[in-house]
Amino acid sequence: MGEAVAGEDLADLIPRIAAGDRAAFRRVYDRHAPRLYAVAIRITRQASLASDAVHDAFLQLWRNAGRFDLERGNPEAWLISLVRYRALDIARRRTREVSDEDLPEPIDEDPDPLQRLAASRDAAALHACLGALEAERRKLLALAFIDGLSHSEVAERLKLPLGTVKSWIRRSLQSLRLCLEGAA
Amino acid sequence: MSGTSENIPEELHVLAGEYVLGALEASEMRAVRRQAIIDPTLAAAIANWERRLAPLAATVPPLPPPDALWSRIEATIGPVADESAPAPAAAALPVRRFPAILPDEAPPARPPRQAWLPEAMPPPPPRRVWPWQAATVLSLALAAGVAALVLVPGLAFRANLPGLAERFAPQVAALMPADTPTPGFLAEARPDGTVLLTALAPVAVPAGKDLELWILPPGGTAPRSLGLLPARGRQVTLQAMPAAGTALMVSLEPPGGSPTGAPTGPVVYAGKLGQMRL
Repeated sequence: MGEAVAGEDLADLIPRIAAGDRAAFRRVYDRHAPRLYAVAIRITRQASLASDAVHDAFLQLWRNAGRFDLERGNPEAWLISLVRYRALDIARRRTREVSDEDLPEPIDEDPDPLQRLAASRDAAALHACLGALEAERRKLLALAFIDGLSHSEVAERLKLPLGTVKSWIRRSLQSLRLCLEGAA
Repeated sequence: MSGTSENIPEELHVLAGEYVLGALEASEMRAVRRQAIIDPTLAAAIANWERRLAPLAATVPPLPPPDALWSRIEATIGPVADESAPAPAAAALPVRRFPAILPDEAPPARPPRQAWLPEAMPPPPPRRVWPWQAATVLSLALAAGVAALVLVPGLAFRANLPGLAERFAPQVAALMPADTPTPGFLAEARPDGTVLLTALAPVAVPAGKDLELWILPPGGTAPRSLGLLPARGRQVTLQAMPAAGTALMVSLEPPGGSPTGAPTGPVVYAGKLGQMRL
């Protein structure tokens, strides 16, 4: 996610948060909240719901920082996951009919994130492996991951049969995993 | 070669990938999450996908969150923690509907001060119903549409060889409803400090509420939050296996959990850890 500053990246800040250091907590908020909020908005499609998701995720960060295993886990991925699962839960809980009504500003609807993948090593591998998929399949993955659409919602959005969407996603995941593990 | 995936069946990779992508429907998501709590292989497959796909989230252009969001988070985590400090003024706290949580020992002549109890709360009655004020819990829970569970006390069996017993025997608590023999959650505390809470039956959480899990050691007076409890359960890691007689309870809280660091809603499930009786 962000650019690392010595002593200021998540791996350094999480143990401080676990020890109750509010300044470290605030630092993580300042650095990461805009990205996390944007991720939550894409999934919940509503500013107030996105705020709820980020609120809940930061609460979990505050309470569970001590349980995060820095040796094994990737802290950026953890933080993003906290927000995404909250946002997905919130989005799944309500009907999507009411969506798009209260978005704070137009959002970028470009479903192909390939050119946006940053230059980190993880991102480079993902970039390469996503690039090996057909653009259409890549779009399915992006609609699910970035917009939080379920199989049936993807099918509806792209006017494709549900079975096709499921099998494309499934095969894309298989190719992606083999490609990423080969790159590791 | 990463090697982390070698022992994971392909089916599980795909399921975990669909889960992390967000492609699963709500009921499937819940099922995967529930399964991951008790299946370390699935949990590992999920963690792998979270790591692999995280860079995709960075492709979303950042958006400044509303200014009020930080204050809201700050308000939720509460004032700077100082457990020895007196409770904050009652005026600053929401109305408590939470019946007093008490250890199940005979009430001391002079009950210990409960740091989380606001001072404006009426003094506790001299004799309390063990272990919670069951009728109050029940009525609050029924009003909230949640089955009230009261504890079925496990036998606090601590053998003459506690080290041996702890090494081999997990401690369990069934968090049982008062009116039917169906437990809501099974809590299993393992010697490494892992506490696994598994929903044994579908748990209905009222809209706009979250379940929050609390732990109260034997003889303790202020429950400590272990975070939110998803309706299907979750795994908690403590520093050590909690002692027999430790109470676990679940309260109904505003979204994101209690804003005060102490339970603010009714306790809807509760149980006490005791040695599993085979």
